[in-house]
Amino acid sequence: MANAKGQSSDLAKQEQRLAYWLLAPTFIILLAIAIYPLISVFGYSFTNATFASNKPTEFVGLDNYRNLLSMTIVQVPPLIDEATGQIQVDAETGEVQYESSVRALPREPVRFRVVTDFSLFGNKYVLGATDPAFIRAVWDTIVFGVSTVFLELVLGMMVALIVNANFKGRGFMRALILVPWVIPTAVSSQIWEYMFQPNRTGFFNTVLWYLGMGSGEIPFLSDPTWQLPAMIVIDVWKTTPFMALLLLAGLQLIPADIYEAADVDGAGPVRSFFQLTLPLLKGTIAVALVFRTLDALRVFDLFQIVLGQARYSMASFTYYELIQNRAMGYSSASSIMIFLVLSIFAIGYMRSLGVKSDDH
Amino acid sequence: MTTKTKHRINRILLWALIIVMAIWMLFPFYWALNSSFKTEGQLAMTPATFIPRAPVTGDISFTLKNYESVFSNQAFLRAIVNSTIVAVSVTVLALAVGAFAGFALGKLRYRGKNSTLYIILAMTMFPQIAVLSGLYTVITTLGIPAIPSLILTYLLFSLPFTAWVLTAFFRELPTEIFQSAQVDGASPFQTFYMIMLPLTAPALVTTGLLAFIGAWNEYLFALTFTSIQPDARTLPVIIANFPSQATRQIPFGEIMAAGIVSSIPLFLLVFIFQRRIVAGLTAGAVKG
Amino acid sequence: MKRRYLAVMGLLVIMAMVLAACGGGAATEAPAAPAEPAAQEAAPTEAPAAEAAPTEAPAAEEAPAEAAAPSGDVVTLTWVGPGPGGEFEFRKQQAAEWNAANPDIQINLIEGPVSATDRIGLYLQAFQAQSTDIDIMQIDVIWPGDLADNLIDFNEYGGAEAVAGDFPAIVQNNTVDGRLVGLPWFTDGGLLYYRTDLLEKYGFAGPPATWTELEEMSQTIQDGERAEGNQDFWGYVWQGAPYEGLTCDALEWVYSSGGGTIVSPEKVITINNDAASAALDRAYSWIGKISPPGVTGFMEEDSRAVWHAGNAAFMRNWPYAYGLSQNDDSAVVGKFDATALPGAEAGQSAATLGGWQVGVSKYSKYPEAAAKVALWLASEEQQKAQALSPNSLIPTKMALYEDPDIAAQREFMPKLLPVFTSAVARPSTATAPQYNEVSNIFFSNVYDVLTGKQSGADAVANIEIDLEDLTGFEVGAP
Repeated sequence: MANAKGQSSDLAKQEQRLAYWLLAPTFIILLAIAIYPLISVFGYSFTNATFASNKPTEFVGLDNYRNLLSMTIVQVPPLIDEATGQIQVDAETGEVQYESSVRALPREPVRFRVVTDFSLFGNKYVLGATDPAFIRAVWDTIVFGVSTVFLELVLGMMVALIVNANFKGRGFMRALILVPWVIPTAVSSQIWEYMFQPNRTGFFNTVLWYLGMGSGEIPFLSDPTWQLPAMIVIDVWKTTPFMALLLLAGLQLIPADIYEAADVDGAGPVRSFFQLTLPLLKGTIAVALVFRTLDALRVFDLFQIVLGQARYSMASFTYYELIQNRAMGYSSASSIMIFLVLSIFAIGYMRSLGVKSDDH
Repeated sequence: MTTKTKHRINRILLWALIIVMAIWMLFPFYWALNSSFKTEGQLAMTPATFIPRAPVTGDISFTLKNYESVFSNQAFLRAIVNSTIVAVSVTVLALAVGAFAGFALGKLRYRGKNSTLYIILAMTMFPQIAVLSGLYTVITTLGIPAIPSLILTYLLFSLPFTAWVLTAFFRELPTEIFQSAQVDGASPFQTFYMIMLPLTAPALVTTGLLAFIGAWNEYLFALTFTSIQPDARTLPVIIANFPSQATRQIPFGEIMAAGIVSSIPLFLLVFIFQRRIVAGLTAGAVKG
Repeated sequence: MKRRYLAVMGLLVIMAMVLAACGGGAATEAPAAPAEPAAQEAAPTEAPAAEAAPTEAPAAEEAPAEAAAPSGDVVTLTWVGPGPGGEFEFRKQQAAEWNAANPDIQINLIEGPVSATDRIGLYLQAFQAQSTDIDIMQIDVIWPGDLADNLIDFNEYGGAEAVAGDFPAIVQNNTVDGRLVGLPWFTDGGLLYYRTDLLEKYGFAGPPATWTELEEMSQTIQDGERAEGNQDFWGYVWQGAPYEGLTCDALEWVYSSGGGTIVSPEKVITINNDAASAALDRAYSWIGKISPPGVTGFMEEDSRAVWHAGNAAFMRNWPYAYGLSQNDDSAVVGKFDATALPGAEAGQSAATLGGWQVGVSKYSKYPEAAAKVALWLASEEQQKAQALSPNSLIPTKMALYEDPDIAAQREFMPKLLPVFTSAVARPSTATAPQYNEVSNIFFSNVYDVLTGKQSGADAVANIEIDLEDLTGFEVGAP
């Protein structure tokens, strides 16, 4: 017993050394590439640096972060009729007239702009932020990320199960399902943009018009209610193959004899999916979810090509701040914020899905 | 209901699903194909036609003009070569290096495993634009040519991906194989490349494909790092900047044609590799 | 089987090691090189790359360069040209012509990105890294103020005399704090395209001079065409997506109504006035009536697609659409013309100034040689050649509008001279280096008017407050 223990601790040491050696290349490569850019982004986020300019750079502490994140809620006062001293009421609708939300928000020391108005207990309030574009970008990106990843997981699982089944032409189908993922985003975004055209040159408007729905002039990409759903459709189409392929590989690692045993036990396909397949795929699903979520939250090309400056994702906001407004310090702070948002998601996944790798 | 009819119903359902899935996946591709045979005038037609038709008469009318300009475009053909070089190198490097890391993270016991996983992942948690100017400064300072710099910088995103995915797959393999091999006197490294690696072949192929396509489709880095080396430009850059007659014009038909032509080699590649793993080195191998 | 894996793995290990070695090198050097001194250190290492460039030039031009090489005086300049396509082909001929005539200064012409956003992004990356890679570049009319820090002053190289014959507005636009940072190269301006056949069909004598006339004509023609069965027909298409193009369109509405230029050249914020707010409200009233609901997602090419299919009576667009509308597959071949945009009153027309300048990077190793090439590119002789090239680039030299060859081969140019001489510049130089933010504030607020989120009066008030906060300028009347 003692002998075996000594041997195993020797083995453990050997294993540990080997692990460090095997990890070394990954770390050397990643650090060599990323260390300077990452440190400089972090450093710039505390300055007022202008991109590509001779203007002297000053340290501004947390100002950039404050400008990105400051929010306030203010009650909007009703308009008072100067003559009567009464609250003004619209003659036709009988609704109370309010002061403009813009003016209700503080301007000093920094200006707050309107994010949205809302009513509560008969009072009107306005949610203001120093940078509503960023707040909206964060919200939109999270909505986009969570919905696409959820849909991709469900659809990707269906696709993976289908092409894992035994049928003629399976190899062909496995290649076929990758078509959306294979087309460069620069091209696929333009295909979809064209299909979503706000007149009957677009596929959707033409089809809806043939079906007698819609005028044939629905502005899918410029109407705020349609923008995010359209983005989600495009991304789900494009990235489901990624999810499906990863899950397919996971499915193939599951030994077939487990299913044989389940068949003998008389478990139906649905039960065997939930009781056998899903638990065995947990690790694969977790990794697929982590990477898809991080990718979806960093979405850039799609938003930049299709929506431009009409609506930002977090990454396209950062891009326009740097390239258009040349606010290097500010965009660096925005990058750091993206990093933090992503970390929350990553850690959340690792905790909840038990991706923790330590076996003991 | 007999087993036979049950089986038949299952088949029909399966095929129905396959067909729905194929239409959903392929329709936008079909629309691109349809558009690639249209002239500017046909693209602007209302209502849109499902096959290219002449605007006034409504007769079927295909134009090959878009494909002619794609195939006569030297830069496009060169870009296929460049993209192949970049994507293959990135894939091979990311798989090789990532497999080491994945094995260590998935199967070996050592201290600090969680923090390693987090650090590797943290590298991909920045938007590309955040690291772009820092990387550009490093690259111009060191004078690294465009293609090697693309290969290096793409690793920043593909290496964490391969390392993580392979970690998951290695972990899924039964630990007994690993232990029994050790008992047989094999060193951990021998077990890694003689037993574990062949077992994860489907995972390697899959991960490789995904990393390959990721590198193949990248735009922002490629545009920036090839700015003064047009001969090194990759497909997305060439396609997005496809030649047009006039300066503000977007040659949509040509872009569609170029997109379709450039996806054919990838489709073939995927087809070939998929066939390799269809047999599944899975169940039987794991048992033995 | 096993042996094959061994071989593959061996190969991979070697590659990984090579890479790790390279990577290690980068790691030790990169962090040690802060941004500032990096450029000076970089200079020698980059020289070989720059000298290798001429091999890419056509063989014919290479010969004189090599012959001159032993003397060691050959300078190679990198010129980031237009995006691939028609204009690039013309630039290639120009570069070849120069290279043949000047063995001591060789140009290496490179295709730039098509999109202006990609292009400015690229320039900024190069400037930030203080890269010597780019010498000559083309500069959008709104960039001189922003990029002035990074560009040479042509006045040191005889620029003042060279631009004497150019449109003064453009020269003023390109002069930042007394430094001439860009040479006017070719100009551009918003035009009103109209369907001659439809005007005739509905009994109109000529294109509209005022916005009210435009509205009336659009409505009449649209109603008529729709009654005849073309349900996709619209009166007027323009650019309403929230991007720089909307700033151009909206500036035309505002300026042609007497509402000023957002910020005056004297650095006064003038946008908050009734004329401006009425102009924005007017544009809002078009949507769904004479302009499609989707116009708030339109950029130049979207408007042109509607026009190209014959589904619009009027279009606001740049001169590039003129040639394309004459292509075989266009539904409007021979049925259209272009003129000045309408105004609130006849003769108050305004066209937003577009166009491109030639600039030379301050970080260029050979600023003198590069300035020489730039002066040649922007010269009258070369501007004439580019006007007569298939892309019909519009000259900035006033004398060329009286040139007999241009009058004969490009009749529309002299005809449109009044449009270009009276073109209104965006306030890019006055608000530099913050023009992009100014424009962003302007078009975002205008976009909110177009989408019905705020009234014109609220919009101009909001723009004023935002611009005050951003620039610190005074507020005044236009």
